Amino acid sequence: MSIYELLTQFGDKYLAALLTTWKLTAISFTLAFVIGIVITIMRISPIKPIRFVGDLYVQIFRNIPGAALLIILVYAFPYLNFVWSYYACVLIATSLLPASFCSEYLMAGMNTIGAGQIEAARSIGMTFFQTIKNVVLPQALRSSVLPMTNLLVATMLTTALASQVPLKPTDLTGIVSYINTRTVGGVTAFMISAFLYCATAVIIGQIGSLIDRKVRILR
Amino acid sequence: MEQSQKTFEILEEAPVIELRDVNKYFGSLHVLQDINLSVKKGEVVVIIGPSGSGKSTLCRTINRLESIDSGEIIIDGVSMPDEGKKLAEIRSQVGMVFQSFNLFAHKTILDNVTIGPIDVLHKSRKEAQAEAMELLKRVGVESQASKVPAQLSGGQQQRVAIARSLAMHPKAILFDEPTSALDPEMIGEVLNVMTELAQDGMTMVVVTHEMNFARRVASRVIFMDGGKILEEGTPDEFFAHPKTQRAKDFLESIKRHES
Ligand SMILES: Nc1ncnc2c1ncn2[C@@H]1O[C@H](COP(=O)(O)OP(=O)(O)OP(=O)(O)O)[C@@H](O)[C@H]1O
Ligand SMILES: [Mg+2]
Repeated sequence: MSIYELLTQFGDKYLAALLTTWKLTAISFTLAFVIGIVITIMRISPIKPIRFVGDLYVQIFRNIPGAALLIILVYAFPYLNFVWSYYACVLIATSLLPASFCSEYLMAGMNTIGAGQIEAARSIGMTFFQTIKNVVLPQALRSSVLPMTNLLVATMLTTALASQVPLKPTDLTGIVSYINTRTVGGVTAFMISAFLYCATAVIIGQIGSLIDRKVRILR
Repeated sequence: MEQSQKTFEILEEAPVIELRDVNKYFGSLHVLQDINLSVKKGEVVVIIGPSGSGKSTLCRTINRLESIDSGEIIIDGVSMPDEGKKLAEIRSQVGMVFQSFNLFAHKTILDNVTIGPIDVLHKSRKEAQAEAMELLKRVGVESQASKVPAQLSGGQQQRVAIARSLAMHPKAILFDEPTSALDPEMIGEVLNVMTELAQDGMTMVVVTHEMNFARRVASRVIFMDGGKILEEGTPDEFFAHPKTQRAKDFLESIKRHES
């Protein structure tokens, strides 16, 4: 089938798939971001066991393949009486994994701050959380916009895991198998999805460098 | 009447900062050895001594940026705890000015000065900003209020750091070599601000190599070496008649350096 035929026949399906991928990406990244911040605060906590748990999280979820995690969530967890919808399983997998990278980028961003500013905050009388809120996180976030942009793209690509479970509407990767089981879309069906992934990534990249230029900290 | 007069005198005499038998180790290095020090309200105590003698460490322990291994640090009658909210509260009463300024790089000059009053003292933004502008004027950098630290010279940054400390209405301010990172032409502007502070009655502990400042401004000079306070006296006494050989050697080496 030609691109034209595919688009006239499945155009609305592609649009729905694109929206599904965007939605999964947005939710996953937001969750990953929040979890990543919490894990990072744990990793710099003055209390050792809390630091340990934070580090352990990163070690585990940085090194586990997404497909493996999804299989565990879908097939193994029901044995432990945890039964979640496919949608939830996908979201859990596509949030927990990027969260570990998010934490790594924040840790790298923190290394640019320098102990002096943190001591200054403490000597003003800020508590641990006030120091994190006023000095550490804002600077770590502002100096990790570009890695976070890359993480957002990586998260989007990770949401292709959704194609491994029956979702309705399916995502950009799922749509390819959907079409190919009905007609012979062949590689063209895949090319359309690939183009939509790429276009999204380019837009994300542009917005990311725009934000970076705006918030970069003069040193 | 006599009774109340007496109480008043005792209160007046109560030190703002007091260290009792403070000891600190870095591993096997005994950096602070049985330090006893008492700083009264309005006093300017200048700490001098050779490199590695423990001056910075002493300064930092007063604000508990370094923990101590034994002894006690008392701020305005309250013993400093090891950690927790109470520690943060006492810290907020003692300002600290660092050699490397340590302004918050992502905040404007104005926000650097207001963040403490707003977040720690819970003042309104408006009140904090009005006062911050007054302080910035006092240290001569009010025209820089909307810039970020990296846009200021070292001398300007250090004066902002002093304003940031003042905004907390501290009972005392600790200075750890506040002019050592500055180009020579900027040292004067920072020392002038510090001199004015001293004249206004601020209680200050100053680690410095600026002997002229010590001579003119100090109420007391403390000479440290090897983690101990070896000498303590008025600047006139100390500079004219150092008692220990260590102090004599140190003053000699500085004189050679200055001439
Ligand atoms: N965090 C640390 N860990 C281990 N040793 C330290 C630490 N900080 C300082 N020291 C050591 O403690 C001693 C006292 O250091 P300190 O910085 O207080 O000296 P100082 O009198 O301020 O010297 P300077 O004039 O060079 O600033 C030095 O021998 C130093 O190497
Ligand atoms: Mg020092």
